[in-house]
Amino acid sequence: MVKISDVRQEAKRLLEKGKVRGVVGYVPGTRGGWAIPYLIQEAERAEQLVWDPTCVHNLALFVVEEKKEQAKQKEPDKRPLAVMVKGCDSRAINVLLQEKFINREEVVLLGVSCENSGVVDRRKITHLLHGQQAGEIRFGDNGNIVVVVNGERRIFDPQEVLADRCLECQYNFPVVFDYFYGEKIKKTPPAPYAQVEKLESFSLEKRRQFWEEEMARCLRCYACRSVCPMCYCAECVVDPISFAVEPTTTAEEKAKKIKWIEKSPLLSENFVYHLVRAIHLAGRCVDCGECERVCPEGISIRLLNKKLEREALRLFNYVAGTDSQAPSLLSTFQETDPEDFIW
Amino acid sequence: MEKILKKSDLGKWVGKLSAFDCYAPTKENDHWEFNQVTYLDSLPEDYTQVNVPLKKVVLPNREVLFNFEDNRNGGPHIQEVLPEEKEVVVFGVRGCDARGVALLSKIFSKSSPDIYFERRKNQLYVVGLSCYPLPGDNCFCLSVGGGPFSTQGMDILLSDIGGKYFVEVLTPKGEKLVELGWEFFAEPNDQDRQDRLRREKKAQEMFNLEIHEAEKKAGVLHHLFEDKIWKTESFRCLKCGICTYLCPTCHCFDIADELASPVPFQGKRVRVWDTCQFPDFTMHSSGHNPRPDKSSRLRQRIMHKFLYFVETYGEIMCTGCGRCVSKCPVGIDIVNILNRVESHEG
Amino acid sequence: MNKDHEPRIVAFLCKWCSSAGSDMAGVSRLEYPPNVIPITVMCSGSVSPIYILSAFNLGADGVLVSGCHPGDCHYIKGNMYARRRMAFLKELLPYLGLEPERFQMSWVSAAEGVKFTQIIKDFVAQLKPLGPQTYLRRSL
Repeated sequence: MVKISDVRQEAKRLLEKGKVRGVVGYVPGTRGGWAIPYLIQEAERAEQLVWDPTCVHNLALFVVEEKKEQAKQKEPDKRPLAVMVKGCDSRAINVLLQEKFINREEVVLLGVSCENSGVVDRRKITHLLHGQQAGEIRFGDNGNIVVVVNGERRIFDPQEVLADRCLECQYNFPVVFDYFYGEKIKKTPPAPYAQVEKLESFSLEKRRQFWEEEMARCLRCYACRSVCPMCYCAECVVDPISFAVEPTTTAEEKAKKIKWIEKSPLLSENFVYHLVRAIHLAGRCVDCGECERVCPEGISIRLLNKKLEREALRLFNYVAGTDSQAPSLLSTFQETDPEDFIW
Repeated sequence: MEKILKKSDLGKWVGKLSAFDCYAPTKENDHWEFNQVTYLDSLPEDYTQVNVPLKKVVLPNREVLFNFEDNRNGGPHIQEVLPEEKEVVVFGVRGCDARGVALLSKIFSKSSPDIYFERRKNQLYVVGLSCYPLPGDNCFCLSVGGGPFSTQGMDILLSDIGGKYFVEVLTPKGEKLVELGWEFFAEPNDQDRQDRLRREKKAQEMFNLEIHEAEKKAGVLHHLFEDKIWKTESFRCLKCGICTYLCPTCHCFDIADELASPVPFQGKRVRVWDTCQFPDFTMHSSGHNPRPDKSSRLRQRIMHKFLYFVETYGEIMCTGCGRCVSKCPVGIDIVNILNRVESHEG
Repeated sequence: MNKDHEPRIVAFLCKWCSSAGSDMAGVSRLEYPPNVIPITVMCSGSVSPIYILSAFNLGADGVLVSGCHPGDCHYIKGNMYARRRMAFLKELLPYLGLEPERFQMSWVSAAEGVKFTQIIKDFVAQLKPLGPQTYLRRSL
């Protein structure tokens, strides 16, 4: 069992001693108790930290954001940032380390194990509660989830309420950490790629139809990209407006900037946007599931990334974020890489 | 004008509206959207609130403004592309969405009206559906000048009084729609009127979320430009834009030229949705960005609705639909912020 | 499908091997179908997936990426990186519903004029029955 009091104590200690710039963790939100990410900078506030099944966010994102923020400061605070990380989040940190976006000394990792449980899918809970507002959501025994509705305690089997990514998760405790809370209980889901395989079993026509319906809904709000810790590029190739303009950028550079796809949400442009993003995440995506969770249209973005995750494993025996010292998937090669598809 | 329409006659009335494009809420993947329908037997019992609000009908996500092509006599030839001449009826519109379009009219139909918006608005017939019970847990329309039985921006308001709808015909457009199906409408009796009033009163008591003294926020926000609440609340903002895209009154747009072919030179100028929450929204071509950080952008979103619009048009630009509260991936809560903003807690 | 349709192929050819191989076909007066729009790149390893997706987006019916044989890359290992990268694209595009025949990769050396013409002939023959590519093609 993760004792949140231990996490709070450590956070308080780190802040009191001035060892960290701040602690990024989960605190209770305003509506229905769903946790929200928060930056704690005063030691007394460390008491607000929580750990429960609503802690869905990948806090590695805020490591990236803070790094960019500090880069803009005239006198950056050089102290590390403490951050609570789950298994998936810790792998995201590993990818950032691997790609040298951050150095190890820049973060203090408070690793929290999901043990034999995980985080919940809000849509599943809403569905099961028939629209009633959940009051409190806690970890129960044996991986069960306890939901308090109108004062009544209801117990749910994890299969019913956990996020899909937790049900398919193979890395449910942090692989990189400075402090570890909870127990290392390894989960071995029977069919982590079942959804991918199901889509592969469809005919080409049916797959096309499925994706056309999904992509037609895309509003190009870029929420998927904004929430992904791996999408840290200041200038995204498929975002026509993200342009790192500085006072020294010439008019010619601005005029000649390549526009790969149009800004408007035409079906073809939406496809290219998602395909480019998926390819750029090959071997980097840790399946934290945030992209799909935040999508206002509920597009099955995980289904795209999961496919490439499986190919990385199948073709190159590679899993993202397990070893920060290893070369990243696409910056290396083996003599024995498959080439049966090459004429 | 007040009428009664039996629920079983809704489909027959819609059948008489074949000259219009009819839209109604349909469910896909667990969420509701307004989609075009060819028939409408009923407004579903479990219908709550559409994901993308009514504004998409008058201000679409992508709208072609004009075509241009090379004109051998020098200079491009421009051909205006106005919205198709087709009247549109949307059923099941909640008060917040209808009010949103009415507020947008204040902006787009000013002294030099936006012809694209105008035409779409003129062709739009809004058939509202009152809220009993409330569609969501995060509804707060009552505290910002709206309400579960609000009629602002509607042509007709339907209220479910069990087995039949109490029909309030509010505008000449509404009368036109009712005329087309006159045989299905009956006169209401006193019991009907009482049923409707009773439901409205009950609905007003169902709210568990409100902005305290919303109309006074303009005066308060005036002095809070530098307050630290913007920084602490915006730390977790993802700059995803969902709050503004799904907001019934947010209307910022970008204009882009899309080239179909460089030679012969041919393309379209389009208008697409944009959002003040994107970092480059206020980027100047000099490289200076007056809103470079999330706290200034969050402040902008909230002040635009509760201060700037109030100063210019005298109304709060938030309709209390609650979408930004429900859909924000990190739980940034406009109601909570506004209720706390005077405490200077940060 | 439309049998009269002439597929338009965009071919990214590395300068040192494949592009030279296409020149070899030319000077040897070997005939091959005129459906190819060749784009010379310095190395197959410099081909970003976005070039390929952009080619489809702008209307290509087929895209070919061709480089030096493993071990012969002018930049030593550029083609090795390309091999990994293109493997992902080769898996991803059919998963989305784009016909797998539309994207191909090949090793063609500077001396392989004959191989080059054969590749193009085979590619065109495979693409013809599929008709025009409308899936990723931009239409305003």
